[in-house]
Amino acid sequence: MPTLTLKTRSPKEEESLGSSFAGALVLHAAILGSILGWSLLSHHDQHWGDNASQAGAVQAQMVEALPLPPKVKPVQDQVLASDTPSVAPPKPEPKTEPPPKPNEVLIPDKVKPQKPLPKAEKPPAPEPPKHVQPPPPPTPKATSGDSSGMRIAQVTQQTKSGTSTVNVQERSFGDRFPYYVQAVGGKINRNWIQQEADSRASLGKKVSISFIINADGSVRDVAVASRSGSPTLDLSAVRALQRIDTFGPLPQPGLDHVTVEYTFIPQ
Amino acid sequence: MSRKTALLRAMVTGFVALAVICLTPAARAQDFTGTIVGSGSQIRIAVADFKPGSGDAGSLKRAFDTTLYSDLGNAGIFDLVSKSLAPTSTPGVPAEISLGQWSIAPVNAAMVAFGNLGVSGGKVQVNGFLFDAKNTQYPQVLAKQYQEEASEDSARQIAHRFADEIIFRLGGGTAGIAESKIYFVKLTGANKEIWEMDYDGANQHPITHLGTISISPRISPDSSRLAFVSLGKEGFQVKVYSMLLGRVVNFPSTGGSNSPAWAPDGKSIAFASSRSGDPEIWVSDANGNLARRITNFKGPDSSPVFNPRTGSQIAWISGRTGLPQLYIMDSDGSTVQRLTDGGYVSSPSWSPNGQFVAFAWDRKYGPGAPGGRDIYVMEISSKKWIQLTHDSGLCDFPSWSPDGRHIVYTNGPNDRASSSRIFTMLADGTQKHALTGPGADMPNWSWK
Repeated sequence: MPTLTLKTRSPKEEESLGSSFAGALVLHAAILGSILGWSLLSHHDQHWGDNASQAGAVQAQMVEALPLPPKVKPVQDQVLASDTPSVAPPKPEPKTEPPPKPNEVLIPDKVKPQKPLPKAEKPPAPEPPKHVQPPPPPTPKATSGDSSGMRIAQVTQQTKSGTSTVNVQERSFGDRFPYYVQAVGGKINRNWIQQEADSRASLGKKVSISFIINADGSVRDVAVASRSGSPTLDLSAVRALQRIDTFGPLPQPGLDHVTVEYTFIPQ
Repeated sequence: MSRKTALLRAMVTGFVALAVICLTPAARAQDFTGTIVGSGSQIRIAVADFKPGSGDAGSLKRAFDTTLYSDLGNAGIFDLVSKSLAPTSTPGVPAEISLGQWSIAPVNAAMVAFGNLGVSGGKVQVNGFLFDAKNTQYPQVLAKQYQEEASEDSARQIAHRFADEIIFRLGGGTAGIAESKIYFVKLTGANKEIWEMDYDGANQHPITHLGTISISPRISPDSSRLAFVSLGKEGFQVKVYSMLLGRVVNFPSTGGSNSPAWAPDGKSIAFASSRSGDPEIWVSDANGNLARRITNFKGPDSSPVFNPRTGSQIAWISGRTGLPQLYIMDSDGSTVQRLTDGGYVSSPSWSPNGQFVAFAWDRKYGPGAPGGRDIYVMEISSKKWIQLTHDSGLCDFPSWSPDGRHIVYTNGPNDRASSSRIFTMLADGTQKHALTGPGADMPNWSWK
């Protein structure tokens, strides 16, 4: 009869079982750790064309206007002046009163017959109230340094938000070369970014900038001639001049430089 | 202490007095003064048809008149009087013009350009004048005389030159662009060659005849050399074509190279090269020697362009964070700044005054996203941008004109080269019109 022999675990065997358990645990932990570590260390690569959400550090905002060729206002009062005149708007249809509904008809006996007034008692027609016409608002032209030498049609330009006027003092340069004066004004206009000035602090203020145009058209000695009281407005006007490389060579041969002063009025 | 204060006070008073004395004469002696309110308006200019002089000028005069009129209209700084409003008399010389006719309604012109054109002895002779219509005392602004071989092309070139003179005088010292050229890629059968045209799309003719795919033309600042990329047996290589010699000159070819860009001094070329594995930005001298790598980051870098004002900065496209984005750096590779916040950016072009970068941008890129590639302009200093094209198909490859007032770009309904056309517009996005028919791509405006 075979004898059933039960294997008894020797303490040595138990110890090795425990150690293999420990080994398995360590191995699992190591595998888990390496997976975690790998996923942490290797950053996921995005490729061009992925539909990945993009996060950026740069905040970009719309600008309202580039200081570039400005758009002209279409000439309103001259249809012929435009290459593509707009079509005339259709004539408004004459408004007709809707016919009265039957239930709106006045009941005749409830209407008091109007007594014809005797002619003598007719009250005199009341005087129409006289409306005092307010004076037209003054255009924001420069109030300083006006001279008789300039033709207004040449120097006044209609602009987006007001008028800009170039005034020439008694020296003859502006009389002789009004187109150059206009080109200077236009170029400063295009390079002046009004948004740089704090709109609330600059309201109703004006700053005068003086500078010198050299014979080759370059600008030097830009200085604030009279402060506005709004530092941002002063700075925006100075920066407008600093943006300009050249106004073009002076048209008068032999002229060394011209001294210019411009007043900036924000609108 | 009181003595010290008194001394200080005296010093301050003296300084203020000195300042007043110094400043007062300066404030009184202006040659002219002015007021700036809001933005400026455009100058209203009338162009009279030139008076035919001696000889039969017929077609030459027609080409001249049309070109001069369209040049002034394209300039973007004039309010051009329609020719139908012009007085019936045609002045040819200053004695014949009565400025009163031109300065009153309906013409209302501030400036009048007129003159005469005659042909004699195989030469076309043009006298052009620009008069200030509202200055009766000194009306003449400009008087020019031109003489060239009698051909329609030279009549057009004379008109370009006269228009540039007018634009230079009245535009505040910015030179006109009527004489500038545009280089572009033309699809010819299965090949692509580099072509040249005038800024208004006239006079299109080929430059290269390599019989392969040649793309990315970039003219050098002095217009003497044309760098481009051509497909050879080692892939795309930068090649340089000499406009003076009329042939391709030697330029070392190593690995795949793309999108060359000239420095404004013409002494170095930046390009993208994958000779070290990853596409990176390299800078070499104008002959392709002494190439050095200036970017070193995982991810592709391409499309470099120098700041044309200073030459000390490079804008380029980098994919180091995923999708390609617009970056700028100093030309030695330091001070890297990212400019765009997302989307898919390509083909930057830096404006001539250094203030803006134009680029093509698909802001909603990816599968399922309603992507549309459009031209945008960003101001570098503030990172503010505006969109210039809207809903007009795919737009790409913007390139600034030398005066910074125009941008030329590619527009097409799809990505196929056979259907894309070259358009031009003012830099604020107005006055868009096509310069070429289909099959033209990658325009590059000359530097002057």
